[in-house]
Amino acid sequence: MTPLPWKRMAPTGPQTPAFEDLAIPLVPSLYNLAFWLSRNAADAEDLVQESFLKALRGFASFEPGSNFKAWIFRILRNTYLTSVTGLARTRTVALEDEMSEGGDAGYPEAAIDRQTPEMNLLVLSDRAAIEAAMEKLAAPLLEVILLCDVEEMKYKEIATILEIPIGTVMSRIARGRAALRELLTAEPTQKGVRG
Amino acid sequence: MSEHLSSLQLNALVDGELAREQLAIVQEHLTECAACTSEALAQSLLKAATKKAGLRFTPTDALEVRLAAVVRREAGADRRTAREDGGRAWISFVGVAAALLLVVGIGGMALWGRHQAGVNLALANRAALETEAIDQHIATLAANTEPQVISTDRHTVKPWFQGKLPFSFNLPENLPADTKLEGADLTYIHGQPAALLIYSIGKHRVSVFVMQRAVETAVPVKLSDHTGFHVIGFITRDLNAIAVSDVDPGRLAGLVGMIFQAQSGVDLPTK
Repeated sequence: MTPLPWKRMAPTGPQTPAFEDLAIPLVPSLYNLAFWLSRNAADAEDLVQESFLKALRGFASFEPGSNFKAWIFRILRNTYLTSVTGLARTRTVALEDEMSEGGDAGYPEAAIDRQTPEMNLLVLSDRAAIEAAMEKLAAPLLEVILLCDVEEMKYKEIATILEIPIGTVMSRIARGRAALRELLTAEPTQKGVRG
Repeated sequence: MSEHLSSLQLNALVDGELAREQLAIVQEHLTECAACTSEALAQSLLKAATKKAGLRFTPTDALEVRLAAVVRREAGADRRTAREDGGRAWISFVGVAAALLLVVGIGGMALWGRHQAGVNLALANRAALETEAIDQHIATLAANTEPQVISTDRHTVKPWFQGKLPFSFNLPENLPADTKLEGADLTYIHGQPAALLIYSIGKHRVSVFVMQRAVETAVPVKLSDHTGFHVIGFITRDLNAIAVSDVDPGRLAGLVGMIFQAQSGVDLPTK
């Protein structure tokens, strides 16, 4: 069996950092993702707390020096998927995701609407419009965008967290960004639809 | 490269995911293709905009304090478990010694010893449970955070636990004078999920932990004192409860008695 990526990396030394030292600084990032996924503060807090407990109880299996952020994000994401909200949301989008993904073939080039940067500058300065567009993204596309753009994770880390091939990560990023551009240019005046 | 860059290449470019040789090819193409340069800029701007907009939700300070308390609480539980393991080893040693005595012929004495070891183990577990309950009570007071469900209505508090706990329990309809239900939290105690019911008696806060009855802790709790806190509990056929407060012991016992009565329909035994 191939060990998980965070286990493949060699420990840096005998010193084991405390769970609190590694996890507490990640609370803002975890909460931000949890809120985007669950769409409300109470569920996001529950999700973060439950993930924290799971991570804490499984911390003995975490190897010091490996990627703690990817490890705890994966726990949060799996916790979300098994929550009532997560189950409902993933069931809704799973079919659409599978149909349009077509394996790792990538995104159809014809669907990309190339616009001028000047036009994007105007739209992209409207934060409320971007937030509204992100809210409309399907969960599988939104989570890759958040992990890639907001958390600045590498494709490999994202693939590990989401348990999907890197090709699927790339295809989802392409589709997510294309969908965002389409939403932003189609309805540039719809500011803060749900924000 | 004469064709335009693909969306995958453009995204990999702005995400810094191109290998060195791929990057060289892409950069060469960009020097001679205005359309792709414009597209790369657009993708880059979109990435920057989503990064900014994506950082949208900030946790409350209370959440961070609560999580830190959770970590401390769990760490305390681990330490206690380690101590219990040591206790079990010691008890096992006593068991072996008792078996030797049995060989010598003191059968009755050995049987008594085994029984006593079992009682000691249960008492040790119960003591650990009491300590953990007090720790959580103090941590909750120190954090000064609101309960997950805030309500004085038992018909709101009890249903809140539906789907959260693998058991159910009753809350008393009537409470002693000057006693109020403040709310509840879902918590973990002694490694199992529990309902933390929060009451106030006057200005004193009371934490009542209700959990599934477990064999290893199923020793009735009498009123006892630990570091200034009073602890009292009860067991029913299915439940195990423990209450912690610094309120007058008699008033604490009164509240616990009513919670016990709501479960079993009879008064809490005094012995």
